[in-house]
Amino acid sequence: MTIRIWEGKSAGAPGPCGAEPGFTRRGFLRGATGAVGGMAALAAALSPLRDLPDDAFPSLEEFLQKHYKEMTPAELADAMERVRAEVEGRYGVVPTVRDYPPIEGVRFAFALNLSRCIGCRKCVHACVEENNLSRSPEVQYIRVLEMPRGTMDLARGDHHYDRAEVPDGGHYYLPVQCHQCANPPCVKVCPVGATWQESDGIVVIDYDWCIGCRYCEAACPYWARRFNFAEPTIPDGGLNPDMGYLSNRPRRRGVVEKCHFCLHRTRRGEMPACLEVCPVGARKFGDVLDPQSEVSQILRTKRVLVLKEEVGTLPRFFYYFDERYPRDAGSPGPGEGGEAGP
Amino acid sequence: MTRHHEHPDPERPASRPAWLVGPAFGLLAVWFVWFAPAPQIPASGSVQIGKAALGPTARATVKADPPITRVGAYEYRCSDCHRLFQNEAEKTVGRVQHTEIVLDHGLNDRCLYCHSQADRDRLVARDGAGLSYAQIPELCARCHGTTYRDWQRGTHGKTLGSWRSASPERRRLTCSECHDPHAPAFAPEAPLPGPHTARMGEPPAGHRPEGGGPPSAPFVGAGGARGSGEGGAGR
Repeated sequence: MTIRIWEGKSAGAPGPCGAEPGFTRRGFLRGATGAVGGMAALAAALSPLRDLPDDAFPSLEEFLQKHYKEMTPAELADAMERVRAEVEGRYGVVPTVRDYPPIEGVRFAFALNLSRCIGCRKCVHACVEENNLSRSPEVQYIRVLEMPRGTMDLARGDHHYDRAEVPDGGHYYLPVQCHQCANPPCVKVCPVGATWQESDGIVVIDYDWCIGCRYCEAACPYWARRFNFAEPTIPDGGLNPDMGYLSNRPRRRGVVEKCHFCLHRTRRGEMPACLEVCPVGARKFGDVLDPQSEVSQILRTKRVLVLKEEVGTLPRFFYYFDERYPRDAGSPGPGEGGEAGP
Repeated sequence: MTRHHEHPDPERPASRPAWLVGPAFGLLAVWFVWFAPAPQIPASGSVQIGKAALGPTARATVKADPPITRVGAYEYRCSDCHRLFQNEAEKTVGRVQHTEIVLDHGLNDRCLYCHSQADRDRLVARDGAGLSYAQIPELCARCHGTTYRDWQRGTHGKTLGSWRSASPERRRLTCSECHDPHAPAFAPEAPLPGPHTARMGEPPAGHRPEGGGPPSAPFVGAGGARGSGEGGAGR
């Protein structure tokens, strides 16, 4: 669609004004209306920029910051200092931001006892507190599925259960979070290399390198990744000042995040927050290369399963059972209650 | 000027509606700036969970070895009273003391199945020597052998401190730190609130925060619809 102001030879005769040949009033009005309308539309399209907060634009240092893996130690120190200043400016809390490199000779794994989990969701909220997750819009790394007994069909799970008391006799509870797959589809699809797997098995994200395309979110078979659709909000006094550069430092709008096995805790030897809070001891964490670790013992002696084994992601998050279904002898055991599983 | 003004130019058939583009853009701009609805990003009431509910502490307190009962300024051991009261009858009904204890331990329904009658500050063991209160797992192992084996391996129970198997900070909780020995099954408890994501197949009202408000109500801060009653707990 062309809008001609200068009609040229096609108009032939001089215009009504007679000043310039081919320059007609009609052509001028057409062009001017189009130009004004176009500029107005452009201005309207840009108008949401007026509502941006002052710190929405990256500083020059942030803009020029390299990828985590390409930064020299001095540059990383500068980046962490910038994060520290940002957090102090936004939340009024002076955090400790550290970089925790993976420990040599350690491969982390998580195990969860399905016979024990009661679905109390304490892990969900301990994770929110520990990892500075947005309270609104709500971002939660852990999703606890309430599953009918006798099936492993994840489509029949419900994470909105709202009972007066848990556990319910006809259900079991299946918490799902990032499985830190050894063959991670999320890493493969990232077009900018903002997420990668470290030598201890944890898949991490450089929040400053993520472009927010959400390919990883679509690629994950476990619904483990979360996208910050809006600027995260953390209430006053709710910020955890103990921060890792690749883990729980505050994120911004437009980046993806997920569970990282609390690497700022686990890489200095501590337990993940979800494990510490579990009231029934259903969660187990450790190093699979250490034959004495709890996860190694579980892999050797328990009946272990992973979710969606057939998709070939090789998760590091294992579910296991006790030999005998505990508690509550009156309720139907697995395979007996409800409809039969596949 | 040979051709008629209203006659469309056969060489440029698409040029005739071109002048509409400008006003259309203009109207669109007006609509965008003044009338377009703001994008709705689902927000939820801020759910505040107190740190007390999320503490990494043990579930129950462990009794000292031997257990001590404090009455006023005085400290008693079990044997101080039971030196006088031997309680020969192995009955749990008709108790006049220890009435606060609810004994709900299956077939194990007698005090003296676990508590030693000979030495009231100790627990029962097969060899008659008894076990101290620091050896509770060995007492429980008398019946719960497979669970005890799992606990020794670390596949049952809870470990705090460190995941390193050789770390001195590592502490494996004992039986009575999680279970009440008199009623060892965990009582059902209220779950913490679930996610405020949309529920498939249900109207949006189903996931609105407590206290009403539209499902996409804007964020109202820490003292919002849900969190107002629970206060601003945090670190």
